[in-house]
Amino acid sequence: MNDLGFLIFVAAIGLLWSRTMRYTVWFLAAEGLILSLMVWTSSPLTWLTFLVGLATLAIKTGLIPGLIHRLMRTLPAEFRQDYPLPLWAYAIAVLVILAVGHVIHLLAPTGIIEHVLLFFYALSTIHVGLVMIVARRHLLAQIASLVAIENGLVVLAVSLAGALPTFVELGMLVDLGIAITLMVWMSHLFHHEYQTTDVVALQRLRG
Amino acid sequence: MPDFFTLLGPLVVVLLAATVRRRLTERWSYAIAILVSLVMMTSLVLSYHGLVHQQWRAIFLAVTNLIATTSAWDSVFWLKEHPAIVPHRYYLWWALFWAALLGISLAQNLALAWLSVEFSTLASGALIIEIGDRHALEAAWKYILIASVGLILGLIGIIFIYASLKSQGLGWATLNFANLHAQSAHIAPIIRELATIFIVSGFGTKAGLVPFHTWLPDAHSEAPSPVSGLLSGVLLGLSLFTIVRFIDAVPSPAAILLSGDHLLTIFGTVSVVVGSLALLVQTDIKRLLAYSSIEQVGLIAVALGIGTKAALSIALLQFALHAVIKSSLFYGSGHLSVLYHTKSLAKITGLMSRRPTAGVLWALGILALAGLPPLGLAYSEWLIFLQLWHHHSYVVIVLVSLSLTLAFGALTYHLIRNLWDDIDASSKNPQADAQEAL
Repeated sequence: MNDLGFLIFVAAIGLLWSRTMRYTVWFLAAEGLILSLMVWTSSPLTWLTFLVGLATLAIKTGLIPGLIHRLMRTLPAEFRQDYPLPLWAYAIAVLVILAVGHVIHLLAPTGIIEHVLLFFYALSTIHVGLVMIVARRHLLAQIASLVAIENGLVVLAVSLAGALPTFVELGMLVDLGIAITLMVWMSHLFHHEYQTTDVVALQRLRG
Repeated sequence: MPDFFTLLGPLVVVLLAATVRRRLTERWSYAIAILVSLVMMTSLVLSYHGLVHQQWRAIFLAVTNLIATTSAWDSVFWLKEHPAIVPHRYYLWWALFWAALLGISLAQNLALAWLSVEFSTLASGALIIEIGDRHALEAAWKYILIASVGLILGLIGIIFIYASLKSQGLGWATLNFANLHAQSAHIAPIIRELATIFIVSGFGTKAGLVPFHTWLPDAHSEAPSPVSGLLSGVLLGLSLFTIVRFIDAVPSPAAILLSGDHLLTIFGTVSVVVGSLALLVQTDIKRLLAYSSIEQVGLIAVALGIGTKAALSIALLQFALHAVIKSSLFYGSGHLSVLYHTKSLAKITGLMSRRPTAGVLWALGILALAGLPPLGLAYSEWLIFLQLWHHHSYVVIVLVSLSLTLAFGALTYHLIRNLWDDIDASSKNPQADAQEAL
């Protein structure tokens, strides 16, 4: 289980590091595949866990990377890359990952954490996703950040409770699937309207 | 039985929109409005007992269905004014949004409430995208992204709570509010504290509490007006009450600074102050109403932060009154924007000479929102102050009363400019006046 958690974390780091949207798609698909394996192996295999794993595979390895890839292919080559990540983003990513150690120290006495190492990978993945969402400027990179954070949440649930109730897991998957479909559709419209994929262009309305 | 019946309403509209598709004409819009009205009246009858006994679910259900009905009727006219909108897609997302709101109203389970709130973001976000222009696209992007990240924080809190009670082996039912209430003592205090912070921040993002509010003015101002009414009148309040249901079920240790009640009071007060200040500088009619929603939701949060049963009843009254007034104003603002071909407050003037009836109704709505006695909100706001006084929350009283005075001034200032013709234009630019006269 810890190995799978480690792989998810590595894929999240890959997402943070990668500027090329093609790699982003591969990292997302890899995360989806690893999560499906995690769902199937984290508890005794029943029809329900099999179904949740299958739905995870379909949505996180098939639908989401597929939609992003499809949109990416319609974009001209210069729009398939993000800007370089600013140095502060790397520094903050390191700091927030180190901060996870403190959270574990704080929560350990309560006995809530079932798998400490997995918890570390989960919270680190969520933190890396949050850094990405702030630091990355490409529309598709922001969508990938949201998926990475959600993947981190699933790992967090495994590290703390073994798994979430099936209804919640399926609900989260459906919600994520709809959210990403809408956001990819919006990215398409956005590029059509603004001739860019840079979220910095979203400055007409001010909070 | 009433729950099942009520959920049939959105289901029928979804099926209708999916099957009739391109043939969904104005006649169908009327049919949908009549259907929603029938659902509303029947659910009122079925939940009459709950309403009389001030049960939360009955009140939430009544307010949701009432505003959904007015929204459905306004949609008929709004769609006529916006022929570019595809009706069957509009009604599909509108019905899903209505279903999500009913899901939040009826949820007896924290996870189900979370899923419904998350789904409401997607359905209402899709409705904003339907507008199709740049502003709407930007607003929808910010809305979905910020609300989703906020709700992820809320989910972290829910996972902590679920993990603390996993030994019960109840699965899904672990997160029932009744079970949480019964088992809250078994959750470690630090977990309760952390979960409360996450859940207040997460659902607070959807409730539009400052500092998590940045998506709200954009989304509410760019959404179709009938949807803005539902967003502002119903969704904000329901998200806030979901927080309270959690705090009620899993109380934080009373002595700590960041208990649920304290967080609501702090975020609520800041929201009232920021919302009121922002009203002064607004230039867009729908953004004015959106910032007023931040102020009003802040006021409801302040009332809920008091934590007594009386304060809770007053907060429910404030929620219901605000829902009716604000949704009506949003519908009105949509029609005014079409009438004047702009959303700019500086250009929406002379209502009393152009449309006297609309002018009087608009004035009544704005004055009710500003809290002018004897209109409804004045009464509930007075009761909130009374509760704060009994609780010796003098700093909050000073901050909130100053802010509400400011909000009253700002709203009446904009109202006067709306009602009469260019009252300040002649002194500023005589040349432009002369040219216009020619």
